[in-house]
Amino acid sequence: MLNRYRRVWIVYKKELVETLRDRRTLMAMVVVPIVLYPALMLVLVEALRKETGRRQEERYQIVVPDEAHAAWLQGVLARDKELHEEQDAAQNTTHKSPDVDPTMGLRATLRSDKVDIVVAKPGESLWTLVDRQKYHIGIVLSPPPGAEHDNVNHVVQFIYRDTDPRSEFVHDRLNRILGAEADRIIRERVIKATGSAASLEPILTNSLSTASPAQQYAKILAMLVPFLLVTMTITGAMYPAIDLTAGERERGTLETLAVSPVPVGQIVAGKFSVIVTIAMLSTALNLGSMSAMVYFSKLDRIVSGANLMRAMDKDAVEARIEKLDAPSTGSFTQKYYLEQRRTLEAEAEKKVGFVTRAAPIVLLAMVPFAVLAGAVMLAVCSFARTFKEAQNYMMPVMMASIIPALVVSYMPTIRLEGVLLVMPVANIVVLIRELFLGNANPSAMGICLLSTCFYAVSAVVVAAKLYGHEAVLFSDVGSYKSLLVRRFIRPEPRPWPALALLMLAVLFPAYFYWQSYLVDPGESAARFRVVLGLSQILLLAAPPIVVAWYLKIDLRETFSLRIPSALHMVGALLMAASIVPVSSVVGQWIASLSPAFRSNDQLFEQQAKLLTSGSFAAMLTAFAVVPGVCEELLFRGFLTAGLRGRVSNRMVVVIVGVLFGVFHIYIEKIPIVSLLGMVLTLICLNSGSIAVSMIVHIANNSMGLLATQSERIRDFYGLSHDTGSIAIDGRVLMFAAAFVTGLLIITLVPRKTTTTP
Amino acid sequence: MVEVHALTKLFPTTEGGEKRAVDGITFHVKAGEIYGLLGPNGAGKTTTLRMISGLVTPTSGYARLAGVDAVADREAAKRNLGYLTASTGLYQRLSPRELLQYFGELIGLDRAAVRKRIEDLVRWLDMSEFANLRCGGLSTGQKQRTNIARALMGDPPILIMDEPTLGLDVLTNRVVLDFIRAEGARGKAIIMSTHYLDEAELLCSRFGLIHEGRLVGEGTLPELQERAKKKRLSEIFLSLCGKEEHVLDLGAGLGTLSAHSASGT
Repeated sequence: MLNRYRRVWIVYKKELVETLRDRRTLMAMVVVPIVLYPALMLVLVEALRKETGRRQEERYQIVVPDEAHAAWLQGVLARDKELHEEQDAAQNTTHKSPDVDPTMGLRATLRSDKVDIVVAKPGESLWTLVDRQKYHIGIVLSPPPGAEHDNVNHVVQFIYRDTDPRSEFVHDRLNRILGAEADRIIRERVIKATGSAASLEPILTNSLSTASPAQQYAKILAMLVPFLLVTMTITGAMYPAIDLTAGERERGTLETLAVSPVPVGQIVAGKFSVIVTIAMLSTALNLGSMSAMVYFSKLDRIVSGANLMRAMDKDAVEARIEKLDAPSTGSFTQKYYLEQRRTLEAEAEKKVGFVTRAAPIVLLAMVPFAVLAGAVMLAVCSFARTFKEAQNYMMPVMMASIIPALVVSYMPTIRLEGVLLVMPVANIVVLIRELFLGNANPSAMGICLLSTCFYAVSAVVVAAKLYGHEAVLFSDVGSYKSLLVRRFIRPEPRPWPALALLMLAVLFPAYFYWQSYLVDPGESAARFRVVLGLSQILLLAAPPIVVAWYLKIDLRETFSLRIPSALHMVGALLMAASIVPVSSVVGQWIASLSPAFRSNDQLFEQQAKLLTSGSFAAMLTAFAVVPGVCEELLFRGFLTAGLRGRVSNRMVVVIVGVLFGVFHIYIEKIPIVSLLGMVLTLICLNSGSIAVSMIVHIANNSMGLLATQSERIRDFYGLSHDTGSIAIDGRVLMFAAAFVTGLLIITLVPRKTTTTP
Repeated sequence: MVEVHALTKLFPTTEGGEKRAVDGITFHVKAGEIYGLLGPNGAGKTTTLRMISGLVTPTSGYARLAGVDAVADREAAKRNLGYLTASTGLYQRLSPRELLQYFGELIGLDRAAVRKRIEDLVRWLDMSEFANLRCGGLSTGQKQRTNIARALMGDPPILIMDEPTLGLDVLTNRVVLDFIRAEGARGKAIIMSTHYLDEAELLCSRFGLIHEGRLVGEGTLPELQERAKKKRLSEIFLSLCGKEEHVLDLGAGLGTLSAHSASGT
């Protein structure tokens, strides 16, 4: 007998070889990233460069009403040229300019030798001349030039066509040049009047960012890269996912494979591993290609340069103030700009290669996403009979992945917390961004990865259930109806693992959304209780019950609806009486292990406020009885029944416990709630009755609730007010002994009747 | 070796009803026996064979392969089984040798056993010419030989062949029939379905005649001849399923049953 891992490996090896021999996969995986992206980017950069150059080489036609206007404009352009020559000279001595302008063409100015200034004939309207496209722009000064006195202010009227790019360009440049000219005139006037230009800028604003240039650069990448990577991973995984499932079905090889003595789960595991491998190979190649492209095209300098415009150091501010008094030919704005640009270029030079260094971390963060994408695609494609059908199914999957990624990309303020922790795809996109920015919180990262892995496992299990199913395998065997129509469903004693995990995978994010909607401080306590109770019933208890009924799954067996034996009942009551002090001590001990597990006081107060109002009965119903019953039905009922018999009972206890813990939204609660979940699963499995775990669960919630309310109960349990220390006295030991006795009774005393295995 | 008991399969139809594709079929096949499952298109032969192979779950009834239930313990049941159909595809981008190695490894044979078995099958089925070419480029006959080799990799005691000679040229047809006969002689329990009744007459020791999901006749050729008072298998079949008159009206005497598939099945 082969062991299962060896079989999965055999399937993996064969599928990988076959996939890599496929030209279509190679095209999508290798040719596109290695050839197409760089080619596209080079074309883009080249086009940008050409366009900038071309605009500068172009001759621009400016029309003015008379000679005085022409002379004035020539004077302005000559002063501008002088300034630029000075700047260029300064630059060439210090630093070689990069090939591509870091400010995306900002530097491009109007060269006076490329400008024709034409005087309009008498009677000709500038408006008509420009409108008939004889000239790019017309300029009229009011009052007209010539009568220049110190205190005369001119209004410059431009006449241009903003639909003509050249007309627009020359308008834009002249506007800037005249801005600089205005600066010069102001400066002259102020110096003449006061002898100093220091009064020109009474308030200088300057922003200093503590982020290093590398972090600033990462911020830009963090916006772009997750979205690009998500798209690439999906594209990479899509073809093998279709080919290994629907493609195999279409070519008739699925039947051959289905008839070989290999469990479907192992075939699916092998295929799934190939899809993830190809997705990751594709991501790695794309990322490598992107890094190389950015490096060689110097795109990073362009991007980072533009961003660093805003960051200045303190020295630059002082220098700027000093310069205000220094005699200068150029305007302050241009001087300052030149200086900034030099800094930028020096910084950009240091950052080259950042993408290459960040690549491995990003690649690592992409693994869970590739796992999830591969699993979902495998599940969806397993449903398809033909390649074409699978391609159609893929569209919504792609949209569902790309849209959240795109939305999150455009919401830079979103952090990895709350609902987002468990929101498929979006959580990974934000995680990658946080990794880029160096902000990732380990416990948030843990939940994000855990929930992603959980979704992935659920999807793989669903894929295994669908894959090789007769309705999918043979188109002549009726239709999918046999999967969904109640009449054709064969009664089952328990839900199958795929169904149990799928149930939780669907309810998980839905319930999270709902909970985050509930945690609204403005909510009235009474309404909060009703909504909470209803949501528990509708989202946690109703779906498993309805699904089990519809699929003809034995309700008694699935939900362990049995009357417990008297001894088990005694055990349950012992545990119910002692669970609060025991869990309190264990909770304090866990909190002492890591600050991550210490409860959030603010949150606690907010909840306590909602808890303390209203009648006692309403409170107990909403926070103890309803959750106790509903959560037990889902976790100890449906989920436990689905896993039982497929994995060992010990594994059932661990899996259900951890999922129960993660289901409770707050990170700091996970360890203690997981432990509670494990204990509840253990006693339900051993007693064969959900009543036992319900009693302990309700007792835990209600007595815990009472302890927050009543001093007497706290004293009875011996709970210290100081939550920072663990006080183990005689009373706590007594409760612990009662708890352990109850647990031992339930785990050691056998059930009265045996259930079907 | 193969026990089929009251095997029934209901399918949902597009109109919302359900169709009884296979209706209470029971038969047994002993080791060394070649059992012919005969019937027109849509009679339920393929569904029956798929239920026996564990590919389709019966609505009721059961099939046992060498004592193992085909549904309750699918993997163990399939270990006793070689399965071949006319529509079985091959992996286009693997060579026959690689394909055989894959299935050999999956069955659990060790490396040396896989190599030896492949060499034996390549020699026996005369595959050396194309054993290293990609399956995508093989002719229909070469593909079918590869498929036979694939079904025989584990040397299973039971063989199920659904239309194994459909669309084959005379030469390959001969190879396939010889191979079935030889495997029967080696003591394998073989169930084959076919349209070609002449072929079945030559090859099979017992027959099951299926019409509209039900077994209308079962037994050896002399037994069936005795029951229907007819000589040829095609006549026996038409007589047993009550279609004789209709066919005689058409002035038939056709060698295959496929032409009658339109007559209500």
